[in-house]
Amino acid sequence: MKKIISFLLGAIVAFNLSVSVANAAANEVRVAFFLEWPTPNQEDKVKKLFDKALGVPVKWTNFANGGAMTDAMLAGDIDISYSQGLVPFINAVKSKAPLKLVDIAMEYGMGGTTCVTSNASGITKANASELEGKKVAVPLGTMAEYVFDESMKVVGADRGKMDVIQMDPEEGAAALVSGDVVMACLFGGNSIKAAVAVGSRLLTVQEARDAGILGIDITSVTDKFMKENPGMLRTFIEVTHEANARYAAGKSDMNVIAKDAEMKVGDMKETIGGFKFLTPAETKQSMESGNLAGFLKGMDTPNGAVDTSFLPN
Amino acid sequence: MFTKIITFLIFFAVVGCILYGRKLIKTEKVDAVFGNPERAKGGIHWVIVGSSFILLTWLYYSWDIAKAFYPKAANELCQVGKVNDSLLSLKYLFPIEERQFKSTFVIKSENKNIDKLAKEIENTTSLKNQDKNKLLKLIVKTKNTIPLLTNEKLLENENKIKIKELTNKITLLTKKFQKTSYPEETAEEESKRIEEAVKEGEWGASGTAVEQTIEIPIIPKTKKGLKFDAAAKELKIISDEFFKLRNHNPKYKNAMKEIKDEIKQYRSELDETREVASALAKDILKVARRIEYASIFPPKTLDDMQKSLIEFDNVQKKEQGTLRFVDVFLFPSGTIVSSGPSCSEQGSGRWLPKPSDTLNKFVLLLKPSVGFKNIPLIWFEMMDVSKIIGFILPDWLADIIPGKYPVHSQDGSVKPNFKSKVLNIVTGEFKLFKIPIPMGHIWDSFLRVFLGLVLGIIVGVPLGLFMGLNRFAKGFFDPLIELYRPVPPLAWAPLVISVLGIDNVGKVFLLFMVSLSIMIISARAGASGTQLSKIHASHSLGASRWQILRYVIFPNSLPEILTGVRVAIGMCWGTLVAAEFLAGTTGIGFVENVAKKYFQYEVIWITIFVMGMLGLLFDITLRKIIDKTIPWRGKG
Repeated sequence: MKKIISFLLGAIVAFNLSVSVANAAANEVRVAFFLEWPTPNQEDKVKKLFDKALGVPVKWTNFANGGAMTDAMLAGDIDISYSQGLVPFINAVKSKAPLKLVDIAMEYGMGGTTCVTSNASGITKANASELEGKKVAVPLGTMAEYVFDESMKVVGADRGKMDVIQMDPEEGAAALVSGDVVMACLFGGNSIKAAVAVGSRLLTVQEARDAGILGIDITSVTDKFMKENPGMLRTFIEVTHEANARYAAGKSDMNVIAKDAEMKVGDMKETIGGFKFLTPAETKQSMESGNLAGFLKGMDTPNGAVDTSFLPN
Repeated sequence: MFTKIITFLIFFAVVGCILYGRKLIKTEKVDAVFGNPERAKGGIHWVIVGSSFILLTWLYYSWDIAKAFYPKAANELCQVGKVNDSLLSLKYLFPIEERQFKSTFVIKSENKNIDKLAKEIENTTSLKNQDKNKLLKLIVKTKNTIPLLTNEKLLENENKIKIKELTNKITLLTKKFQKTSYPEETAEEESKRIEEAVKEGEWGASGTAVEQTIEIPIIPKTKKGLKFDAAAKELKIISDEFFKLRNHNPKYKNAMKEIKDEIKQYRSELDETREVASALAKDILKVARRIEYASIFPPKTLDDMQKSLIEFDNVQKKEQGTLRFVDVFLFPSGTIVSSGPSCSEQGSGRWLPKPSDTLNKFVLLLKPSVGFKNIPLIWFEMMDVSKIIGFILPDWLADIIPGKYPVHSQDGSVKPNFKSKVLNIVTGEFKLFKIPIPMGHIWDSFLRVFLGLVLGIIVGVPLGLFMGLNRFAKGFFDPLIELYRPVPPLAWAPLVISVLGIDNVGKVFLLFMVSLSIMIISARAGASGTQLSKIHASHSLGASRWQILRYVIFPNSLPEILTGVRVAIGMCWGTLVAAEFLAGTTGIGFVENVAKKYFQYEVIWITIFVMGMLGLLFDITLRKIIDKTIPWRGKG
């Protein structure tokens, strides 16, 4: 009996003290990123230029979706999430997660995230109201859901009347192929490729851009890391922007990026071609009063989630 | 209030039951030796202690006890969090919570990096000697900028004054902070603040809406909170001012400029063939820039500031008073953290919602008008009986009736004929009377499990019995079953959408796969376990094959079969969640999956409880059935 009680008390004390221990003088920086989502700074990642620039080892971990990045950041396993989707970030901030948005990784048209209607259904932009009453696959809580909502506004269909099914992109593509759904909204090069094989984009990349639908991926960081290592964060963002500038100048090593993104060079070039990497000045503008600011406002994001002070001048 | 009473009740229940248990041991007869099952009989009081313990742990680690007894604590801790938040950046510079000065750490690690870089340059064979020398010279120069920053004599007067000023500000704040009158607030301001605070709501108001709303009120409600709030604001200004300071004396600035210019010029001179040298030069520049950006100060310069910070920290801890103990003891494994414009629970309180909030939200979700994603958890809808008739009667009945379906006439009307009327009936397109039909997330999940289970029993039990009695059946099906049985049901999941689609068919199929193998195994074991003497007896009494099966073998295997059903139910619930993760619009698993994406922890826990409860309900029902239908269990 005494042993049991002392064991229980010991366990309670141990658990109570298991509050994350301060890690102020970071010995490594842990960064989250996506596969199949090529970015110029992956060249720096492979060549260990980040490690050199930050002065400490940088550990990269790939994730399947932005929500998981948030989870890992809150659990204290990730310091910086690079190219997290804006929607998962907003969901996290809305649930009071101590995260900050410090940079825009890229803006992209519907190239990377899109809704595809199956050819068999015969639904196009012109008769999109026929989607009402039918089944559509949408990965809820992601950028794809945002693109879905906005596209429906553009084509004049009522989301409330559709049968929206929660499906991850790979499954959404499979369901579109098997004819279970008439439209699937998805992201990720391979999923879109599978879906487009049996269907077509509801809005072309250009149409979506004209309608002002664009995806924004961001760099988010835990409050703790930001406070503890402002210098490292600044350097991280600086190196990323240098890589973007190098890409803009056509000097990036595409083979290295493709290999790191685990894509074929051709597919990779197509995907990255749909991304717009902003210069620091453009980023600042977007964060303060441009696309990003509008997006955040449109989604009722609490104020104070954005910090522009780490952008390179 | 409710939580308070519950907490006390639980506490007294635990104490009372433990005392009772000890008394019982003393008064009990001692003739039951160790190993005698009698010793495990009874003991309701330990059941109470066990379940109370779970509840107490939940109440404690979700910080619901804190909320019940100190409802203001969260708001006050939020203000304390603001102070910590403002202090954080400054504190990291000093060995207060760290082992060493940030400057020391930066210098140490940069020296290491410089040495590493120098070694790399020396070892790079593709570099020309002249490049090597040039780069090494640059490295030495970079290294030499550090002493320029750490030399006290070089520290500019202006910076000295500024540091002193900031230190004084902190000391002044420390003094002010201890006074009861701090901060000065007019009656008007006070009433306005209180009015706003009331409008903001109480801690944990998120229980009243499905979406996350305000979690912790940030406007200070109490005098103590206001104090910390005001101090946090002042500290933030001090901290910002400090980080604007740059210990860049003219000598350092010159040295730095020299390095920058030299590297720039050097790199511009390099042609494409000497890219390695260019990259290395850039690396050197990066180190130099890192040193430039880090707040490196001479070793003794910030001593006073450190002292004043520590002093303030001690004072603010003292001023917290009882709040500190509340924080330590009632907010286990985490605390309230302020970040930017909001405060939040970080730690176990974040992912373990409070029982009271969870209950509130559950009641809210149960309301049919709210539900989850516009579908109630469990409710009923009125459905016309005609729909059921339409479902049962096959549509082709109308097709085989001679004649043709009506064609529209010239005046644009369609006249129904007998054939179309039959079609209406077999497709359920007519009105009869309405009956209530259950619907909603819970019902859908329940139905899926039920269908999977029933199908598994219908197919599995006869097959199992057959395999237990027949050599052909055993030999024929055995390899098939044994091959598929060890496969975890979720291994089918990736195929299900492609093959069976996203409707209920796929999900029920997964559950069917689960229950089938269990039912086959248990029925087979039951059949082959029948005592031969019983079969012989019935034979000699002249029973037919069917009678032997019906009256001897089946009743004998029933206990095994029903145990199999119980196992299968558990497995089915386990698989259901994953099956509903796949693709869904309804179901408990769907609710959990979507709630996860929006970080709605209360909803996640609700789904977990609902599943536990439903599983328990199934099991209890089955136990009752077992007791009723097979009283001979364990006696054959």
